[in-house]
Amino acid sequence: MTASPENPAEVQEAVRGASRVLPHGAGTKPALSGVPGDDRAADGHGAADGHGAADGHRAADGETGVVCLDLRALSGIVEYDPAELTLTAQANTPLADLSATLAEHGQYLPFDPPLQAAGATLAGAVAAASSGPGAFRHGGVRDFVIGVTLVDGTGRLVHGGGKVVKNAAGFDLPKLMVGSAGRLGIMVRLSVKVLPAPRAHRDLAFVAPTRQAALELMGRLGRGPVHLDALELDEAGRLRVRLGGAEEVLEDRARRLAGFVGLDPADPVDPGEGQGHGARQDTGHSDSQGDGLDPIAWMPAGSRAVRVVLNPAQAAVLLDTLGAVPAPLRLSLGANLAWVAWPGDRPLEELDRRLTKLGLAGMPLTGAPGPRPLLGSAPGGAFARRIRAALDPDHRFLEL
Amino acid sequence: MDVIAALGELGLGGRLLTSTAAVAAYASDGLAAFHELPRAVVLAESAQEVIAAVRVCHDHDTPFVARGSGTSLSGGSLPNPDGIVIALNRLNRVLAIDPDARTARVQPGTINLEVSRAAAVHGLEYAPDPSSQQVCSIGGNLAFNSGGAHCLKHGMTANHVLGIRAVLPDGEVVDLGGGSTEVAGPDWTGLFCGSEGLFGIALEVTLRLVPIAEAKRTFLVAYDSLERAGDAVAQIVAAGLLPVAMEIMDELAMQAAEASVKPNYPKAAALLIVELEGETDVVAADAVLLDALLADSGAASVTSTEDPEARALIWKGRKSAFSAVGWLAPDYIVQDGVVPRTRLGEALVEIGRLGSEAGLRVANVFHAGDGNLHPLILFDGREPGAQERAEQLAGEILAMCVRFGGSITGEHGVGVEKRQYLELMFSEDDLALMGELRRAVDPEELANRGKMLVPLRDRVA
Amino acid sequence: MQHHIATEELGPRAEHMTGPIEACVHCGFCLPTCPTYVTLGEEMDSPRGRIFLMKEVLEGQVELEVAQPYLDNCLGCVACVSACPSGVQYGDLITAFRAHAEPQRHRPAGEVLQRELTLATLPHPRRFRLAARSGRLAKPFAPMLPAALSSMLRLLPDRLPRQRRLPEIWPAVGTRRARVALLAGCAQQVLAPEINWATLRVLAANGVETIIPRGQACCGALAMHTGEADRAQRTAVKNLTAFPRDIDAVLTNAAGCGSGMHEYGLLFAGTPEQARAQELAGQVQDISVFLDQLGWVAPPPALPRPTRVAYHDACHLAHAQGVRGAPRRLLAAIENLELVEPAEWELCCGSAGTYNVERPELAAQLGRRKRDNLLATGAELIATGNIGCMTQLATHLREGDAELPVLHTIELIDRAYRRELTAS
Repeated sequence: MTASPENPAEVQEAVRGASRVLPHGAGTKPALSGVPGDDRAADGHGAADGHGAADGHRAADGETGVVCLDLRALSGIVEYDPAELTLTAQANTPLADLSATLAEHGQYLPFDPPLQAAGATLAGAVAAASSGPGAFRHGGVRDFVIGVTLVDGTGRLVHGGGKVVKNAAGFDLPKLMVGSAGRLGIMVRLSVKVLPAPRAHRDLAFVAPTRQAALELMGRLGRGPVHLDALELDEAGRLRVRLGGAEEVLEDRARRLAGFVGLDPADPVDPGEGQGHGARQDTGHSDSQGDGLDPIAWMPAGSRAVRVVLNPAQAAVLLDTLGAVPAPLRLSLGANLAWVAWPGDRPLEELDRRLTKLGLAGMPLTGAPGPRPLLGSAPGGAFARRIRAALDPDHRFLEL
Repeated sequence: MDVIAALGELGLGGRLLTSTAAVAAYASDGLAAFHELPRAVVLAESAQEVIAAVRVCHDHDTPFVARGSGTSLSGGSLPNPDGIVIALNRLNRVLAIDPDARTARVQPGTINLEVSRAAAVHGLEYAPDPSSQQVCSIGGNLAFNSGGAHCLKHGMTANHVLGIRAVLPDGEVVDLGGGSTEVAGPDWTGLFCGSEGLFGIALEVTLRLVPIAEAKRTFLVAYDSLERAGDAVAQIVAAGLLPVAMEIMDELAMQAAEASVKPNYPKAAALLIVELEGETDVVAADAVLLDALLADSGAASVTSTEDPEARALIWKGRKSAFSAVGWLAPDYIVQDGVVPRTRLGEALVEIGRLGSEAGLRVANVFHAGDGNLHPLILFDGREPGAQERAEQLAGEILAMCVRFGGSITGEHGVGVEKRQYLELMFSEDDLALMGELRRAVDPEELANRGKMLVPLRDRVA
Repeated sequence: MQHHIATEELGPRAEHMTGPIEACVHCGFCLPTCPTYVTLGEEMDSPRGRIFLMKEVLEGQVELEVAQPYLDNCLGCVACVSACPSGVQYGDLITAFRAHAEPQRHRPAGEVLQRELTLATLPHPRRFRLAARSGRLAKPFAPMLPAALSSMLRLLPDRLPRQRRLPEIWPAVGTRRARVALLAGCAQQVLAPEINWATLRVLAANGVETIIPRGQACCGALAMHTGEADRAQRTAVKNLTAFPRDIDAVLTNAAGCGSGMHEYGLLFAGTPEQARAQELAGQVQDISVFLDQLGWVAPPPALPRPTRVAYHDACHLAHAQGVRGAPRRLLAAIENLELVEPAEWELCCGSAGTYNVERPELAAQLGRRKRDNLLATGAELIATGNIGCMTQLATHLREGDAELPVLHTIELIDRAYRRELTAS
């Protein structure tokens, strides 16, 4: 069964009336919003077009007894004053709408969530913790969510955090929602911090002689003199760097960066997008949506996009492990994150095992859902179990 | 066997303090208005000792409080009568720094500033800088999600804590997060940060480091009214500039700073401190924009400097302001409310009005960029009724903050001091859930009992 | 902090105790600069903890006896005063409290004897010289003696320098620019008489006439800082009359003496001598401050080769008198002298008056820490402004097999003038 609540009270009602419940927005991340075991939920990352996913949810009914909550009606900006650098919106407001409104005032979502063109929503970005490449500069989703209203597993409507940038009152429920995959509470309203958007961009690419050299360079760039908006090692082994800021100094900074790196910039050609050659400069565009840095667009058709979280020191071993599959990946955010294109014909359980072995954790976003959204070694132990039990004592939410 | 005897079997020797003089020294933290005598103090020197002490407390149904440097301004490490203090100040080592990953792994008693000192050789620093950074510890920063002057750009402590090894109140040890800036699965680390010690004690913390900016320029701007200074802050934000800090001090706060550390601030009704940091070129370009903007903002004077010593003196004056108020009045209450930054001017007028109604002087020092107010309510405790009036005024100011859409605390935490005001911000259901989360982790409410939330046993009684 | 101390029972020293307690806001900014807190890691061994304990004792909440060990651990370095944003005069508090508490305490016989020995010899040059000579003979037996005594012996040099009687007046060279009186000091005269001679020569070279009043006595600081207010008064009172009024300044070249004389107002509080004591205290200046303000006639000539000098801040100069810039400016004026700064400048070296006699283990820990910080600068020479520090540093450098010279700032300047400065 699918319910389509139109306001928080209806969400509460729906939760109370169901024995199992799974929320979804536009369905751009079917691996999280689809009911496990239901292969029709999505195929490949075809759901990225924003259609069809919701049908998949409907089809799930009956087989699992899970009520799918379509929350797309909970949309719209509630409060936004550019001078506050904060924005409050109904949880399932499309990110593209937020970005458009922010851009009118020269501001942006600094965590650069992907899949905006496909219709991804704010709550979806929070639930998936999907920080994009542009998050290198100021931080990821967890650094920008400051307030939440959610419906817990007992159907209670509760608030955490607030709508001011600095707040130390009460437990930080907003952060807890980041990466919760719709399994700890159903977000109905969110407040986020926003920032002035860099006025211009310049993308550069460098090819280091070896993988080891590329990884070392990545570390050096991360603490180098030129502050970067993005720092990626793409699937072809090229370092992809984005500079952002005032136009008048971009050229000098790019030169300085090249000097620091000690390599000539390579052509940042993007295989997926067929982006133009050479350094690119584009004003009025402040995130990585649909351009050469898009974390998902490059993936081979039929693969599932999986976020794998790592420490930069673990990058080499992850590259080895997944290279053996082979599963191409892009190291993002200075190797704090990997976007893995997991082949559609390989079971997620295999990735789960490989990540567990490395002590890493990941979460698939696209493709059919696995048995659980969380792959690999999930930290949290007893703390996680106890918090989950308090938020969802009747086990209405699905397994993490 | 009672709890003291059981602690005695942990082999702590002289590091189990029970004499009246020794425990008396631990009766208060940075909020001296509250004091309670603990039964004993454990001076832990290893994570194993912390875990063992927690287990003993748990087995004996004895409340415990972790304490780093004892600088909480909300009474966060106030002992429980008959409880145990687990002092972490000797667990003060920086265990590892990974310059390429830009992380530091530290023990909880590590002094905030020592992290930056240790990271400096790699060109890195630890960004959160509470005014007490030369003495406050990372464990306390983590528990209270401390802020500082430079949150505007860098965020608060929780934004810089990537991983925590913690002992839960029943002695179980858990690992939350890791060494990544990103999370897969719920952000348990984020929930643990700012939980005021209610979920247990951090044993080891992985922190994010940031590159030390190659250029830092600090502006001192004098205004003839607080409102003008407040308006300038809004204009700076509207212009798309992102200073690393924007601070305002009023005349009284400046007087205190002058009496204390003599920062040589210009004479004015309000002083705005703005700091830019980053690449040399970028700071230079932004400084031109900022200079022009400030010149048009009705400022009485604008000066700026990149000189490290001059900058250090400016910040010393600002960061000493709380304690320096001791020069102006025998007693004071410092508050920590937050208002939306566009309502700063309004809030200041209201504070002035409430203060004169109460017949009390209020000095204002605040993180203007974050809308984080620090009204310092001055009073003389020897004057009958003065303290009560001051406390009432503090409550009225916090109520105003919430009414304006803000918070009762930006960075000091709720502690014992603002517990009664939490319900201004949160509904009965919100607080019920927080209590349930707490008791899910700590059914007996042993860890830092009485902070942030009213213990269930006290509510039933 | 609020308190319930019955002030009327405390006599003339009351406000020196209640004032600092009231001013303390318990912020803890003093903790990281306190040598005992940094070493022992206990709140009651911090200034904030001690202030709280003194308050509790004065209120009658905690018995003096249980608080005493922690109060005794205090070196009186007053680094906390430099660090305090609230202006708490901790030095006044601990001095007044010690004077207040001393009559009430029961010291074991051995401790009484040792205190008596220290206070009866150190401040008296002739007695000290005698004791030091016999002490030198006893040095080989040091390991067999109680810790306190053996530590006293360890601090003695192997040979005592030759003594020369100081003149009563030392005239200026050239035009007289100022006239000052010098406190000759006590232990310093025995251990390092060169400091006074260097002072006279440097002052003269810069147009200053110095008188050394004959009737002067020990400044009393040693006794005052250990709670023996009466003993301190008995000796200090001689200085109130010995020093003339018609001079430009009363100079000290030992930081401890300078800070002690600055406290004369507190020492003589409530006595008929209070006004004169305050007047004299107002005239007292450290040699470095006086010289820095006066300015050179001509700075010393350049050193023969680049020499790296670490300046060690004596607590009683840096913290008690707030003097940090003057000696550095003087030294930096010498060409080829590269001034370097050790880490943890604010931490006491452990000398602290009689501390290294009374708390030898703690003093030694601090001494080693200071030595390591100084050596880390790569300096070839150490300059400082206090005889106590010089003895302590020399001892610990020697024990660490580091033979770099430790000079008084004024000695270094004097040697530079005389082109006698060779670092090694």
